[in-house]
Amino acid sequence: MNLFLALVVAVLFGTGATLLLKPDLFRVVVGLVLIANAASLTVIASGLRRGQAPIQPLVEGEPVSDPLTQAMTLTALIIGFAVTALLLAMAYRVYTTHRSVDLDDLARSERRAEEELERGVPVEHDETEAAAENQVSR
Amino acid sequence: MSLLVAPLALLWPAAAVAALADGRRRATGWAAVAVLAAAVALLAALAVRVAADGPVEVVAGGWPADVGIRLRADALGVVMALVSVAVVLAALVHGVVSGLSPRLFPALMLFLSVGLNGLFLTGDVFSFYVFFELAMISGYALSALGGEGRMVGSALIFAVVNLLGSFLFLIATAALYRATGTLEMLAVADRARGIDPNTAVVIAVLYFVAFGVKLGLFPFHFWLPSVYGSALPAVTAVLAGALANIGAYGLLRFEAGLLPRELALGGGVLVGIGTVSIIYGAVQAIGRRDAREVLAYSAIGHAGYVLVALGVGGRVALAAAALFTVVNALGKALLFLAVDLRGPLVGAAFAVGAFSVAGVPPFAGFFGKAALFDAGIQAGSAAAVALLFVGGALTFVYLFQIYQHTYWRPGQGTQRASAGARAVVAAVAVVVLVVGLWPEPLLALSDQAGAALTRMAS
Repeated sequence: MNLFLALVVAVLFGTGATLLLKPDLFRVVVGLVLIANAASLTVIASGLRRGQAPIQPLVEGEPVSDPLTQAMTLTALIIGFAVTALLLAMAYRVYTTHRSVDLDDLARSERRAEEELERGVPVEHDETEAAAENQVSR
Repeated sequence: MSLLVAPLALLWPAAAVAALADGRRRATGWAAVAVLAAAVALLAALAVRVAADGPVEVVAGGWPADVGIRLRADALGVVMALVSVAVVLAALVHGVVSGLSPRLFPALMLFLSVGLNGLFLTGDVFSFYVFFELAMISGYALSALGGEGRMVGSALIFAVVNLLGSFLFLIATAALYRATGTLEMLAVADRARGIDPNTAVVIAVLYFVAFGVKLGLFPFHFWLPSVYGSALPAVTAVLAGALANIGAYGLLRFEAGLLPRELALGGGVLVGIGTVSIIYGAVQAIGRRDAREVLAYSAIGHAGYVLVALGVGGRVALAAAALFTVVNALGKALLFLAVDLRGPLVGAAFAVGAFSVAGVPPFAGFFGKAALFDAGIQAGSAAAVALLFVGGALTFVYLFQIYQHTYWRPGQGTQRASAGARAVVAAVAVVVLVVGLWPEPLLALSDQAGAALTRMAS
C-alpha cells in the first residue's frame, strides 16, 4: 500500500511539475493543483496504519487509526482550494488585460512596450490599462 | 486573557470585519490602523515579558498539554513577530495616508498580520503551516492589488513559485510527522536526534528549499525582482520587511532548532550558497538603474548573510542571524517606503535607511553587521569576515548610486507626495535611529534566541 501511494504521489508530482514549466498560465495553475494534491496524499500516507475508526467509544486493546493526518489533510485541501481560486482569478485578470495567457506572449508585449518607451514613442494602451494608470497617478 | 493570545484574538475578528467593510473609505483604513497599533503594543508588552521571564506558553482550548495545539512565544518568535507586524503597521499607515484606493487593502493587511502573528508564536509545526499560508495568500493578493497586466503577471509568478515552496514544506512536514510521530516543535527537536539519518537529511533539504524560496536566496530568487519592482510601494515594503522574515525564521527554527545535526552536515554548502547570493545580489544591484530593482537585488544579497551565519553555526552566529534579519527588515521597509517619494525629508530618511542597511553606526543595521562580524571572528573564519566587509562595501556603493540618481538630480519626480506619507517615512527613520542608539533590548532578545536554539539542539 505504501509503495502504491508513493507511486501515485510521484506521478502526480511529476505531472504537476511538468505542467508548471509550460508557458500557458492555465496549465501552470493546473500543475500547481496536482502538486497540492500530491502533498495532501503524502500527508494521508504519512499516518497510514490499520485500526478502528477513532470515534468514541473505542474498543479496548485494538489499534486506532491516526485521526491527526485526516484533519491535516482536510486543512491542506481547503488551503489548496482557496489558493486555486485565487490563482484562477489572477490568471483571468491577466487574460482580460492582455487577451492572452501565454507567458511568452506577455514577455514579448512587455519588451515591445519597453522598447517603444525608450524610443520615445507613446505606447499604445488598451482602455483598461490606461484607466488603471490614471487611477495610480491620481 | 493571556497576553500571548490577545494579539491574535484582537486581529482575527478585526480582519474578518474589515473584509466586509468598504476599504476605500478613510474610516475603514484608520480603524484598521488603530487595531494594528493595539496589536503592536500588545506584542511589545509580550516581548518585555518574554525578555524578563523566558518563554510563554498557552495550550489552546484548555486541552491537556500533549493533545491541544500549543502557542509558544520565545525570544526568537516574539522579536520577529514584533518587528514584522510593526512593519505592516507602517506600510498600512503609509497606504492609508497616501490614499490607496483598493477595496480590500486594509483587510488583507490585517489578515497578513494574523498570519505573521500566528506563525511566529506557534509551537506546532502544522499550525505554523496554516498561519504561514494565511500570511502568504494575503501577500499574493496584495501584490496583485490595484494593477492590471504586468503587475498581475508578476504577482502570479510570485504566487506560483512560493506555493511550490509551501507544498514542499507540507511534504517535508508529513515526512517529519511520519519519522517522529509528533508535530509539537519541542518534542520534534527531542525525537529528531533518533531518526534515520537519511530521512532526516531529505527532510532538512526540503525545508531548506521551501524557506530558501520565501527568502529569495540565489538559486530560488528569480521571482523576486519582478514582483518587488511592480507592486505598490506599501506592499513592497511588507514583502521585503515582513514576509521575507518568514524565510529567515523558518530556516532558524526548522534547520537550526529542529534538525541541527543535518544543518551542521550541510554547513559548508550553506556558506557557499550564501556567499554566491551575497556576491550575485550586490553585483546585479550595482548594474541596475531603477531604484526598486536595485533594492530587490539587494534583498537577494542580504538573504545570503543569514545563510552564511546559519552555515557557520553556534550560539553567536544564530543570534547574529536573528538580529541581522530584524534590523535589515526595518531598514529595507524604510527604503521601499521612501523610494517613490521626493523631498528633503524623504531624502534624509532614505539616507538613514541606506546607512542602516549598509551597516554604519549609529543606525540599527550596524548592530546586525557587527554581530555577524563577531560570529565570523569567533568561528575563526577569515573568509567570512572578508566576505562581510566586501558585501558591506558593495552595499554602500549601490545604495548611494540610487541616492544620487533620485535625490540629487533636480527636476526628477516633480509630483510631490502627500505630507502624511512623508511623515510616515520620517517616523520609520526615527525608529531605525532609536533602535540604533538604544539596541540593548534587541541585543538581549537575540542573544536569548541564539541560546534557546542551541539549547534545543543540544
